[in-house]
Amino acid sequence: MTAVTDEDHTGRAEHPEESAKGLPGADGAAKHEPVEREAGVRDKGGHARIVDGATTRRTDSTSAWDDGLIARRATEENTGSEHVPVVETRALSVQPAVPLTYDRPLRSRLDALRELVGLSRTRLDGQTLAEAGRVLDESAARRRLSGQHTVVAIAGATGSGKSQLFNALAGVPISETGVRRPTTATPIACSWSDGAASLIERLGIPPRLRRRPLQNPETEAQLRGLVLVDLPDHDSAAVQHREQVDRVLALVDAVIWVVDPEKYADAILHERYLRPMAGHAEVMFVVLNQTDRLPGEATHQVLDDLRRLLDEDGIALGEYGDPGATVLALSALTGDGVGELREALGQFVAERGAPARRISADLDAAAAELRPLYAARRRTGMSEEARDEFSARLADAVGASAAGEAAERAWLRNANRACGTPWLRLWRWYRDRSEPTTGRVPLPTQTDEEVTARQRVEQAVRTLADRASTGLPAPWAQAVREAAVRGSHGLPEALDELAVRAGLPPGRPPRPGWWPLAVMAQVSMTILQVVGGLWLLGQIIGFMAPNLGVPVLLMAAGIIGGPIVEWSCRMAARGPARRYGTDAERRLREAAAGCGRARVLDPVAAELLRYREVREQYGRVTGVKTGLR
Amino acid sequence: MLQNSPKIGHSPHVVTLDVRPQLLDALSALRDSVAAARFPLPLAGAPRARANRDELLAQLDDYLVPRLREPEAPLLAVVGGSTGAGKSTLVNSLVGRRVSEAGVLRPTTRTPVLVCHPEDHHWFSGMRVLPDLTRVWVPHQDAGEDLLLPGEDPARVLRVETADTMPRGLALLDAPDIDSLIADNRVLAAELVCAADIWVMVTTAARYADAVPWHLLRTAKEYDATLVTVLDRVPHQVVSEVSRQYGALLTKAGLGDVPRFTVPELPESAWGSGLLPATAVASLRTWLVHLAQDPAARQQAMARTANGMLDSLKTRLPELAGAAAAQYAAALRLTNAVEGAYDSEHARVRGRLQAGAVLAGDALKRWRAFPLDCSAGELLDALVESLATLLLCAVTAADERIREAWGREPAALAPELTEHEPALESAEDRIGMAVRRWRRELEEYAEEEVRDLDRNVAPDPEVVAVLVTTALLGGRRARSAGEGLAERIGAHGALRLRDRGGRLLTEHLDRVMHTERERRLAPLDALEIHPEPQAELIAALSVLQKER
Repeated sequence: MTAVTDEDHTGRAEHPEESAKGLPGADGAAKHEPVEREAGVRDKGGHARIVDGATTRRTDSTSAWDDGLIARRATEENTGSEHVPVVETRALSVQPAVPLTYDRPLRSRLDALRELVGLSRTRLDGQTLAEAGRVLDESAARRRLSGQHTVVAIAGATGSGKSQLFNALAGVPISETGVRRPTTATPIACSWSDGAASLIERLGIPPRLRRRPLQNPETEAQLRGLVLVDLPDHDSAAVQHREQVDRVLALVDAVIWVVDPEKYADAILHERYLRPMAGHAEVMFVVLNQTDRLPGEATHQVLDDLRRLLDEDGIALGEYGDPGATVLALSALTGDGVGELREALGQFVAERGAPARRISADLDAAAAELRPLYAARRRTGMSEEARDEFSARLADAVGASAAGEAAERAWLRNANRACGTPWLRLWRWYRDRSEPTTGRVPLPTQTDEEVTARQRVEQAVRTLADRASTGLPAPWAQAVREAAVRGSHGLPEALDELAVRAGLPPGRPPRPGWWPLAVMAQVSMTILQVVGGLWLLGQIIGFMAPNLGVPVLLMAAGIIGGPIVEWSCRMAARGPARRYGTDAERRLREAAAGCGRARVLDPVAAELLRYREVREQYGRVTGVKTGLR
Repeated sequence: MLQNSPKIGHSPHVVTLDVRPQLLDALSALRDSVAAARFPLPLAGAPRARANRDELLAQLDDYLVPRLREPEAPLLAVVGGSTGAGKSTLVNSLVGRRVSEAGVLRPTTRTPVLVCHPEDHHWFSGMRVLPDLTRVWVPHQDAGEDLLLPGEDPARVLRVETADTMPRGLALLDAPDIDSLIADNRVLAAELVCAADIWVMVTTAARYADAVPWHLLRTAKEYDATLVTVLDRVPHQVVSEVSRQYGALLTKAGLGDVPRFTVPELPESAWGSGLLPATAVASLRTWLVHLAQDPAARQQAMARTANGMLDSLKTRLPELAGAAAAQYAAALRLTNAVEGAYDSEHARVRGRLQAGAVLAGDALKRWRAFPLDCSAGELLDALVESLATLLLCAVTAADERIREAWGREPAALAPELTEHEPALESAEDRIGMAVRRWRRELEEYAEEEVRDLDRNVAPDPEVVAVLVTTALLGGRRARSAGEGLAERIGAHGALRLRDRGGRLLTEHLDRVMHTERERRLAPLDALEIHPEPQAELIAALSVLQKER
């Protein structure tokens, strides 16, 4: 009996009795029956009963199976008998296997990654997202396929005995072994149970390279659900072998790395494969083969050294029940230790967790690779100070504080002029006439072009963009900067317009209510002076009775009172003048800030928000519960 | 190492390799130009070029120059191969004594071991070959213990052993693995192999198809070194088959004429217990001894490797020169990006100055209020600040352009270039200082101008200064400032003052932009990437070709 080519992918039911194998609810003993029949290992006695049992079961279900459907044979077995009623609908589906299901956390992480890729497409190029896309595609593809099977690849260096181990596990010489290096050129698959055709299809292994193991009830039960793939070497001079290995390794659920005492410390193995795959430790076996070549104690030494190297590679070792890679020593040639591996494999396959764990590890790796694109080095976002500073710079650009100061002074000047003594005003008028005109434009109401300082606006936008994008990963920092620059187009023009609109109305500043009173008081002081003067004059020329006291008093009051009124007016005008100035400044400042907010701050904030959203999505991908800033 | 020794060519031994002092001179010139070539920019080919340069330098220092200088020195056979190929066992067996540690744990040999005849010891105890490896001399009874002095790097140590069983004129060197997990070991192994007169490549039945040893074999072929391969650890049952297949592979690779020895796998060969029986390595030993002791064979082996190396320079130097040229081109592109950015910003600033961009915002408001509601000092402050902002804006805009342009250049990722972060504050400070200085000088000019005028009608120098500043910076919209200035100090004086001030402004502007540009270029200049290395390499090669 040699290995039979597994033809179950063809869907042809050539061996009717074999269909019982796929029967739902078949218990362990019954499951072996057709195998034995085919294998022809029919010893009498205890086994006869089993045959009978299986036969009856088959007749029981004949009605359900006798409908001429050919796709059914490929339906794989279910674990519990309660699934029996569902079989009919499943049998109709083209999909032969119970699809794999991922547990909730993994599902939500995959969903988050999908969303993340969608959100990032506009910002990152396809190359960067390719690995994430691949993980998504592979997880989806794997999910559609059988969850009852675990695809395990045997990988290793040339001459380490991969094929030998493969044959030892299968029990038959399926894969060619030899001294000729490299021996195996194409991957070969061996499936321990049916329904794995589409899985093997996915690995791109043609039907002629699919095999069945030796039909042996014991191993059959142990390794049920196992699909073993023998890979070519990864270190020989034949480059296409390495390509094959890389391709298949990306698709399988678990890997058995076969090393031998001669090659276990090869740099290519550790640097090219084990280190990058350190996250996949849980779906990894490392097997030291060819222990028969080592004398006694040396096996332990080498095994310990191998463990140390794996540890240095960052691979968690599954010792003492921790999750991690299983490390074993065996000799495929003598069969020493193969049983242990078989047992470990059997347990591993029976758990059926490998595909999900592999996808999860892939996801971790993809997330780690994307980390610099999403994770900020420090707290990001725009601080209040940055916003305030931006507004302040814009206000400077339109000249808000200068305008306020000028308005205040103009107001004060007007007040002084109005409340000043007429004599002072006369003097000032005279002085102004004698001096040459300064550079002052005669018409202050003339409108200017480009009132706003362009360089200040540009600088303000640049500073803001720099501040807002500090610590952001490069693509998002670029997005923030672009948003700021886009917003700043036309900003100076808008500010120009706004400076005219929000600026002070041309003409004289408004006057406070007490102004007429002050003017009246000043006038009355002047009148007092004049009256006093005239009175005195009248006395001097004898027109009036000499009475020095009253007119002198009157005149003195006028002369002293005038400056006093002027001074007190000036004091009183300070407050309103300042208010007037600050009001003018505030109006400009607020208008400029409003313009800046609408055009620059808001788009930048929106971009930052988008980043935060993506960042949170990334947090979900990595499985961290709390949103990160 | 390289100074010319007067003894060259006057050796009592038979010297048949044609070595003339001119050739040695040319070679040391070439060595210097190789040592001078540097590849600091992270271009695509740079790591390879750096490795090539180091390898070439090691080959020149460790092998070619000492060999040509002293052709009578013993031949050095370096045993190289993959980890676990049994190199140490092979060396031990050839010597007939355990000189190198063999074992099951990989990598076994971490310190290279050189074995020679006691009378040849002086050739290797000095720094003639492998000058950058520290020699450790250990009496053999202590072998196996911790040989290193504390603080010594095990990777950079060469243990020299002597054994009477070694033939005179031959030294064996047990190298670390060429594919060791320890990267330093790999580099050292490559260096040692390059220092050999005879390359002994060891591979095994399990390994003979591995990519890494084949790469080494191909390199040996490329350099046309005297090569011998040993197929080690072949199980008895498959000796003929494996041997045949290996031979076929070698023939396919064009190495069919390479002497090939097969050593069977014996229980002793396995694990450390010691030495293979003499019969197992007899043929190899005989071959090596013949090579060392037969003058003709020795001469041929030596000349072949040396000539091969000299020939290989023909392709390797142009490769290095090409990489050097690529470095220079990349550096030039980076420099051009900086200069282009600063030039265009410079032009922009000049244009904006002419357009009167400084007289905007605060400064414009103050100018409108001058002189009634604003003092000359305030206006001057506002103008100067506005000017400083304009300059700072130009500098940061240039930096941004540079960042954009450098973002497209892989060469800009050099740590020396990225680590310096242009500190904006300091640029602001520098510009502020320059602008303030300009203001002070302008005020001095104004004072000079006013001093010459009649005392009675002389205007306030500050007003004159502010008017000339406004006229200079305000462009068209400050025409009235010019008029006011002319009214105050006369048309002639006004023109003169404006002229001087304008020249001063241009001068300061140029200086600011130039300073900032130089600061930006400083790290790139510090890398010292020049076009000379390329030319020097090619020139040194052509001189060497002429001298051969």
